[in-house]
Formats: sequence, structure tokens, C-alpha cells
Amino acid sequence: MSETLFDKDFLKKLEYLELIARRLVFGRQQARRASVKKGASIEFKDFREYSPGDDPRTVDWSVYARLNELVIKLFRQEEELDLWVLLDSSGSMDFGEPGKFDSARRIAAALAYIGMVNMDSAGVVPFTTDLERGRSRLRGRGKLFGLLDFLTELKADGKTDLRASMREFVARVRRPSLVVILSDFYGLKDCQRALDQLRFFRHQIYVIQFASPWELAPPIRGEMRLIDTETSEFHDLTITDAMLRRYKRAFDGFSSDLRRYSMGHAIGYALARTDTPFHEFMLQVLQRGGLVA
Amino acid sequence: MTLLAPWALWLSAAGAAVVALYLLKIKRRREPVPALDFWRELIVQTQFRSLFQRLKRWLSLLLWLVIVTCLILAVGNPVFSFGRIKPQSIVVIVDNSASMQSVENRTEGTTRLQLVRRALDELLERRPVSDEWMLIEAGGQSRVLTAWTRNREAVRRAAESISPHFGSVDLAEAGKLAGQLLSGKPRPCIVIISDGSDGEVPKIAREDKTVVYWPIGETDDNLGITQLSVRPHREQSVHYAFISVINGSSAAVESQVVFQLDGSTTAVEPISIPAGETWEKTVVLDAPDGAVLRAWIDRPDAFSADNESYAVLDPIERVSVLLVSPADASFFFEQSLLAMESFVDADASRTMTMEDYDALGDTERQADLIIFNNGPPRDLPATGQFVFINGWPDPVPAKSLGTLQTPDLRVTQRDHPLTRHLNFSTVTLARAIHVDLASGQVVLAESSDGSPLIFLWQQPDRQALCLAFDVLESNLPFRNAFPVFLRNAVAYMMSERSAWIRPLYRVGEVIEPVRPLPSGVREVAVARLRHDDVWNGTVPVRDGSFLFQQTQQPGPFRFTIGDETAYTAVNLHDRRESRIAPDKAAEPPEKRLALSGRLFGTVPWLAFAMFAAGLIGLEWLTYHHRWTE
Repeated sequence: MSETLFDKDFLKKLEYLELIARRLVFGRQQARRASVKKGASIEFKDFREYSPGDDPRTVDWSVYARLNELVIKLFRQEEELDLWVLLDSSGSMDFGEPGKFDSARRIAAALAYIGMVNMDSAGVVPFTTDLERGRSRLRGRGKLFGLLDFLTELKADGKTDLRASMREFVARVRRPSLVVILSDFYGLKDCQRALDQLRFFRHQIYVIQFASPWELAPPIRGEMRLIDTETSEFHDLTITDAMLRRYKRAFDGFSSDLRRYSMGHAIGYALARTDTPFHEFMLQVLQRGGLVA
Repeated sequence: MTLLAPWALWLSAAGAAVVALYLLKIKRRREPVPALDFWRELIVQTQFRSLFQRLKRWLSLLLWLVIVTCLILAVGNPVFSFGRIKPQSIVVIVDNSASMQSVENRTEGTTRLQLVRRALDELLERRPVSDEWMLIEAGGQSRVLTAWTRNREAVRRAAESISPHFGSVDLAEAGKLAGQLLSGKPRPCIVIISDGSDGEVPKIAREDKTVVYWPIGETDDNLGITQLSVRPHREQSVHYAFISVINGSSAAVESQVVFQLDGSTTAVEPISIPAGETWEKTVVLDAPDGAVLRAWIDRPDAFSADNESYAVLDPIERVSVLLVSPADASFFFEQSLLAMESFVDADASRTMTMEDYDALGDTERQADLIIFNNGPPRDLPATGQFVFINGWPDPVPAKSLGTLQTPDLRVTQRDHPLTRHLNFSTVTLARAIHVDLASGQVVLAESSDGSPLIFLWQQPDRQALCLAFDVLESNLPFRNAFPVFLRNAVAYMMSERSAWIRPLYRVGEVIEPVRPLPSGVREVAVARLRHDDVWNGTVPVRDGSFLFQQTQQPGPFRFTIGDETAYTAVNLHDRRESRIAPDKAAEPPEKRLALSGRLFGTVPWLAFAMFAAGLIGLEWLTYHHRWTE
């Protein structure tokens, strides 16, 4: 897998995607993003009343002279925009043909590379029940191969706890960033709470839901023992056509709920079918926009 | 319950195979899934079906075991005896008479004979396997089709070989034969499968408790010709045809009878017959040269064999008579013969003395009838019809033993055509020849001591009527009996001249000549002259006779015997067969025979087979059918 996951063809496609991204997304902004925070810069933004503890250097003395009121000048703060790719590496991602984890790793690499080149920094952090050590603050093309080696070595195993992982992420990364979550998002309620945490800390969020063709239309029927790839729990079922129809309705409903929640909370959303080549999926994402505000 | 094919129990191994297959099938296929969450939700959604889901597999197994059991029972051909049926020796008599050719409309055109086979099938299926069977075909003569057997298939095969007989059958005789064959058998039983034969079979069943009548058929819709006879009326040179039609149905019927002479319609008679009644009519037919008459009822009904009938109309010819008599003794004969102008051709007839007769050559002696009065010829011609009065030549096997004085003249055969309408009670004879007659001759009148006075001598090519007294030495010429007797003699001798066979036969009756054939004839050509089916063949002649048996269908026949031709007609003409309404059995045969019970109105094996098929369909729909969206 490691040899074929990121081959020369992948690298060529990566370069191509980076060019497309620069033209479509980063051409005018050049990695500079206006922060929503107000701070020190040369660009005036607003006034507000002085309060104890404010830097006395920001007091507008000309206003004090005219109005006898202490007000301070606010300037638009310029800050770096970081890209964080949070990669679900639980056991459920190691499923399907082509595998969800392979697709996720390719897309994670592509996103990180675009971020490394066009943004201030990029990081890839895998998570399962908590946040694991990843690669962060990557800048420049030179960091790509280290990142690829890291992703190649990564294994998908264990359970998922998106909420705990996001709680740890917001504790670790306080500065608002662009957070792209690559996961199958099983367990929607936990997933929404996790996204709420990110939103609370003003992170810009983009979720990419992975699904294999098997999950979209399971080719099974009859007497089955279904085994959970994360927990190894099993359940005996007699799969009938009617049951498969109900499963499909449930899965479509799950995906719709996730998409509806994302659209309702200014969160980017994309469904990545693992039978769609990663570069085609990336092109769709870049052309559709929303990845970068 | 008894299995007629107990070997089917070996198929129980299939049940074990089904169980084994299910045990193998119990091992579920393992399938990893990324998360069980969705499936758990589905399970919750279908929780109300969970009990069925758990039992589903075992219900399927149970279903298949029931299916296999049903199939085994179907193959095993079970009968339900409920302990009542005991093994019996059963003779089945199949009535294949003409009426069994009736078509039953309620069974889509099936003949009663075909229904007989179905009844026999049912009988074989619903009786225990230990029964012993024999099959008898009533037919023209009762015939055993299978000897005692327990092989039901052999009985069925034998039943298939039964062909229809177009005449009536003697079921009483068949019953007697069956009784003889059952003697010494435990629990004997005779089953007569029949339409009743106009009450005959129910009567047999009433009289003999071992006989069970199994009625066949329902319809009674039939008009049938029960008689068609013709006689010539020489005075008018026409034929009178008498026809009798019976309405065997339970409703009045209107139709018409068509008469055809040699294929041309000559008369149509409308008929209206109340239920169960008979219509009779005499029709005058103008066919002096003779013809084949076909009468048919212009109405289709359930039984077609009696809807047509045939008769042969002989040509009406006058005969030439040669009277050889002393001149002073011929007066009464000549006057009587001249009075029979419709029989006797006066121009062709002659009277001569014996001397003149002896002087003639053979060709000049030719006449249809030669009467020798008071003196036999020296040489009797090799062929011909003769009347000898008061003496006969040597070939006649009658010796004179002397003279009888004033004998009485008593008729011995009243029903003979020669003695018809005769009254000799006032006739007195002066004397007569005391005759010692060889056996085998037909004596028509004799004296009180048994001496033949009038007798008939018959040979293949010639026959003679002999009177052993001188007519002029009696008062016979002054009695009405004399011209009547002479007329009878001329008519009989002429009719017998070509009467090799009778003018009418019943269907199925064997045709044989009524008198010996000429010695030179080795075979007889036969032609059936039905308008729709002409058939030709030959019949060998042995010892001056032949037997023609192919009279299973009605029709006119022509027999060519040497240089002569004889016609006859074969008809059904049986009132019993034309009354096709089946007789009812006093007691249902199923009850009398204690037949096995039925399942869902059919035989058990079929019910089990249908039930198994239904279960297979149910199993498929429940477990295998993919319902489309």
C-alpha cells in the first residue's frame, strides 16, 4: 500500500492540483487572510472606550482633546491562516474497496500540500478516540515527503471518539484555523457536538465524508453475521431485500443530516466516494469553492 | 391409511437430506461492516418481526419437511381405509354396448366408454392394494381381458384395449361368467360399470348381492331408429318401408326423418315424439328396380349410431312358370296362376305335358319355377325351383312305403311362409303316398299318423316343394287354401331363389348363408356400401358356408356369391340401446364398495401432490422471491 499510495503519478497530480488551487482559490489573497480579530496593524478599523488594562499607546489623544473622553483606536489585526487536516484513523476507515483510509490519506496529503504552498502552514493530525501526534506547522514544498512518509506509516485501527478528539484539538490549537475533517462520521450526534466545539472557537470547518460503494449499496443477502470493524462486535441477521432498502434509506438520511447540519452552520461539506479518483474529487471541491473563505 | 406403493417410504431419506442441508446452511456468512449502528437501527425498526426472523429458518425447515412428507405420500399413493375395507376378489364387467358410445356433454364430449375407464381408475385407486382383480368385457360375447391379478396397471392396460361394440350386450351372461370365475374366492364382488342397459343391470344387482352397479352417464338426449323393414308390393310395383323411431329423452322432440334411395332423397317425414314414446310410419317407396334405402334422423344427439338405418329393396320381378301336367289336370293350376298376375308373367309361362317336356332341350326347359303335376321328370335339372305333386324323382330322399287311405292333412309349421294364411281343416284327401322321408327335410304338413304329406327338399342349387297326394283326388282345388297355397309356393320359391342371406342383421351379428353355397365357390366378395364409407373384402368359404363378422357398424352390404349377388343391411335396431338414459343405482357404488376417502374432493395422492406444490410456492414466495420496487 505504501508503495502505491503516493506514487509518481500521485505527485504529478498533486502539482496539478496545487496549480489549480492557486488559480481558483489563492490567486488574489496570497495566503493572507483578514482576521476577524481586531488588533495592531496599520489598517484602522474602529474606536471603543478605554478600559483599564488597555495599552495606553492605543489611546486616541486627539479625541480626548476634543471630547474629553478616553477612547482607543482599533486596528485590523493581520494574522496567519493555518490549515489543519484532521484524519479519522479509526478501524471503520479501514473498510471498502477501494479503502476509505487510502482515499482519505491521499486527499489529506493533497490538502496539506496545497496548504503548505499557499497558506501559512499546514498540519495533518490523525485521530481515533483522541488526538494523536501528527505533522503540524508545515511550510513549503520541502516538507511534503516527510508528510507522505508519515501518512504512509499511518494505520487505521481502533474506535472513534470525534468529540473527545475535537475537544483536545481546540485545547491544543487556540488560533482560529481552517479545519478539514476527513472521516466517515459514524455517530452523527457526537459528530455534531464535536463540530460545535470547533465552531465555538471560530475555526473554519470543512467536512469530507467518506463512503465506499459497499456502504452505499451493500451487496449482501441471506443469513449473515455482521462484524463491526472497530469493536469486533457482531450481530446475526437475515438480510432481505426489504432490509437492504431500509438500510439504504437510513444511510442516505444520515448523509443528508450531516450535509444539512453543515449547510446550516456555514460548514463546508463534501461526500467522497472511494471509487472516485482523489484528484477528480479534489477538483470538484476546489471548483465548487467553500474550502477557503 | 395404506400406501399402495410402500416403496415410496424409501424416499424418507430425502427428509434427512433436507435436515442436513439446513444444518449446513445454519453457518452464517461473516461480513465485516464499518459500523453496526445502522444495522442496529434496522433491527430496532423490525423488532416486531424479530420473533419471525428467529423462527424463519426453522419454519422453512419445517415447511420443507412437510413438503417432503407430502411428496412421499403422493408417490406412495395412499388410501384411507379407516379399518372398513377388506381385501376382496373383484370382477369388473365393462359394458361396451352401443349406448356406451353416447357422448356426455357435461364432460366435454367424452363418451361413456371413456368415462368407464375413469371409473375403473377411481375404483383401482381407492381400493386396497391387496385386492385381486379380473376384468371382463361384455361385448358381443363376454371376454376375460385379464386373469386374476393384483397388478392394477395390468388392469388399466387391459381397460385401454376395450373397443366399442356397436350392438347390445348380454350383461346377465357376463354376470354369470363372473360368478363362475369367483366361485371359491373369499369375499367375491362383481362390479358392473354400465349405463344400466334399460334396467337390466339394476335388476341383476337386486337379485345378486355380490353385484355392484356402477352407473355411468347422465344424458338421455336421443332419438333412435329401432326398426326399418321393407316389403315389396308386387301389385303396385312399389315397396312399403316401415320405420319406428323412439324418443329416449325426457322431453318431447321434433325433428324429421329423411329417406334416401341410392343416395337421393325421396321422402322427408316430420316427426314429433313425446318423451319416451315411439313414432311409427309406413312410407311408400317407388323403386321397382331395387335400391339401397337409408333412413336417417336429421338431428344430432348424444348417441349417433342409431340415427341412421339401412334396408335393401329387392327388384320387383314377375316369374315364369312351367306347368308340366296332363292336359285334363291342369285347369285349376292354370287358373290360379293366371290370377297371380303380379307374381307370374303369363306371357312367359307355359303349360305342357310330360311328353312335350321330355322332348324339349335344356334351354327350352328354362323357367323360374317348374310344377310337375302327377308325374316326375326322368331327369331332374341340376338347378332350379320345383313343385312335385303326387310323385318326385329319385334325388328327392323320400321313399314310398305304400298308400295312405283318406289321411288327414295337418299343418305342422304354422309360421313357415309356405303355410301362412292356410286352413286345411276342411280339406279331405282320397289317398296319399305313405312317405319315408330322410331326416333333415322340412315337413310342412303331415297325416295324423305322422306321414309327411307336404315337405320341402332343399339343396344348394335347387329346391323342391313336394306334395304326397294327387290334388285332383281331394277337394283342395275347391277350397280357398288352394290358390293361397299356390301363391305362397310361388312367392317363397322365388324369394328363396336368391336368398343366400337374410335381408336384415343386427349390428355385431355374424352373417352366414341360410343355405349351402354352390360347391365351386371358394370365397365370397363383400362390399359395405355406406354413403360415407365404402369397404371391400373377401370371406373364405368352407364346407359350403362362410362367416362374416365385420358387422360392427350399421350399413348395407353386398355379397357376391359366384355369379349371383345378395344384399343385406346391418342395423342397430335395439330399443334398449336407444334408450340411453342411465339407470340409477339403488345405492351409491362408493358406499357399496367401501372406497377409500377423498382429500379435498380428490384422490389422496393428488391432494398430497397439490398440497406439496402449494407449499413449495409459498416457500419460494416467502424465502426466495425478490419483490420488485
